[in-house]
Amino acid sequence: MSADKIVVSGFRHYFQSESGPVQATGVIDVTIREGEVVTLVGPSGCGKTTLLKAIAGFINPSEGQILCDGHQVRGPGRERGVVFQELAILPWRTVRRNIAHGLEIARVPKPERDRTVDRLIGLMGLVGFEDRYPHELSGGMRQRVAVARTWAADPAVILMDEPFAAVDAMTRLTLQEELGRLCATTHKTVFFITHSVEEAVFLGDRVLVMTKRPGTIKAVLDVPRHGKGGRDWDSFTGDPEMRAISEQVMHLVHAERV
Amino acid sequence: MMRRLIWRILPYAPALLILFVWWVYWTIKQPPPSVIPAITDVIKTGFELAGGRLGTDFLASMSRLLGGAAFGMITGVIAGFIAGLYRPIATFFNPLVVFFNAISGIVWLPLVIGWLGIGNALAIFLIWNTVFFIVFQNTVLGVQLVPEVLELGVRSLGGSRWETIRSVTLPGALPYILAGFRSGLGFGWRALIAAELVGATTGLGQLIFSGSEYHRADIIIFGALLIGGIAMLMDRWLLVPIERRTVQRWGLVAPDRRR
Ligand SMILES: Nc1ncnc2c1ncn2[C@@H]1O[C@H](COP(=O)(O)OP(=O)(O)O)[C@@H](O)[C@H]1O
Ligand SMILES: [Mg+2]
Repeated sequence: MSADKIVVSGFRHYFQSESGPVQATGVIDVTIREGEVVTLVGPSGCGKTTLLKAIAGFINPSEGQILCDGHQVRGPGRERGVVFQELAILPWRTVRRNIAHGLEIARVPKPERDRTVDRLIGLMGLVGFEDRYPHELSGGMRQRVAVARTWAADPAVILMDEPFAAVDAMTRLTLQEELGRLCATTHKTVFFITHSVEEAVFLGDRVLVMTKRPGTIKAVLDVPRHGKGGRDWDSFTGDPEMRAISEQVMHLVHAERV
Repeated sequence: MMRRLIWRILPYAPALLILFVWWVYWTIKQPPPSVIPAITDVIKTGFELAGGRLGTDFLASMSRLLGGAAFGMITGVIAGFIAGLYRPIATFFNPLVVFFNAISGIVWLPLVIGWLGIGNALAIFLIWNTVFFIVFQNTVLGVQLVPEVLELGVRSLGGSRWETIRSVTLPGALPYILAGFRSGLGFGWRALIAAELVGATTGLGQLIFSGSEYHRADIIIFGALLIGGIAMLMDRWLLVPIERRTVQRWGLVAPDRRR
């Protein structure tokens, strides 16, 4: 059994607004073990982004605490990389310089930086686009750059907030398979938020289901993995076991429709 | 290639059209030269002045403009960054900024003559007074409009506060900063000429003033053409190329047609 990487206990958050505090989440307890991919699915507005931002260190929990490697999270840090739903890569940096940014910040020497960046450019299918600016790329390409940028900085934990929500359905299938392979080969601890049941089951070692707002964790389902490497959509859709899990999650989510 | 060349030349066409209309009008109506001089007289005057005081006036004005504008731009960007990054500071100083921004530099002129005397310091102060507020307000807006998610992204890559300012806020605010520079320079010219009319003994403002004293419309129009021409060239050869290489290249503003 792997060690606990992220432990969220008794977390609850309120935002302050003009008309008083707004409850964004119910009480949430989550443990993410080292090297596993945990996906979180829940209706829109239930507090998924709030939970992720708290783990990232961007917001201070109103209640409860968040531990990373046993230490309380007090702010953002390079051991917890984030891929955002909105595009967060920098428009004024080329693909190559966006991916290299985390390594530049860590003062990694140029030769080593170039090697890492080249490897990720190859892995993410960005060859030939190294010197383009983000506005010259398609939406899917930009999200690939965002994923590559986070991976290049080599954080222990990667937090992803609906990264493929704005990508067209065809490209999304490819990106999901690529991400699955990347997770399997790099053994990262990944926390992945989505509102798509299929995506949650396809990518996750475990799937967490949230209730509607203010959200709490309603169910936890294990998704067994046969063989090494990521899943692919062809065998996934043909696998009765996967279909059964997807249906189960679907039922849980449907009960939370808003 | 051809398209590119055409778009290089075409923006000058309206100016040429105005000169042409002027020439036609003058040829037909033959008005007295103190009302509207002939285009040829203006050109002749230009050559005469070029052999005389023009060089001194031109250099005096340019050095005042560049000095005052650079001073205004640098202080405006720095103050704008501080106010843009720390909202309480912006709120605190806002009434003061609105107050001073409403008062044209000319109002200060009589006072400043007493403090700084006639000459370069006076002109530079009045240009600074104009450029600073325009650049300041544009910079504050630009800094505040940079999407927060870009900063969060860099923070989660391990970037410090300084790193986010350098790699996110500065380039993110650049479209507004450059817009501030462009209009700041334009208004800086106005402040310069106003300052030189009474607060200097040299400069293009004084040249025009001397023209008005002797009812020399040709000198006044030559001065106006020169000022407008320099402003146009500085915009097209200094600021437009910077925009093309930065904010347009990054897709932050739509590219212009000359590419
Ligand atoms: N900055 C904020 N101020 C006030 N309310 C907020 C803020 N951010 C989110 N909320 C509210 O908190 C709830 C949870 O939001 P969020 O975590 O973004 O949901 P999700 O990501 O699951 O769609 C929502 O009802 C939302 O309106
Ligand atoms: Mg969200």
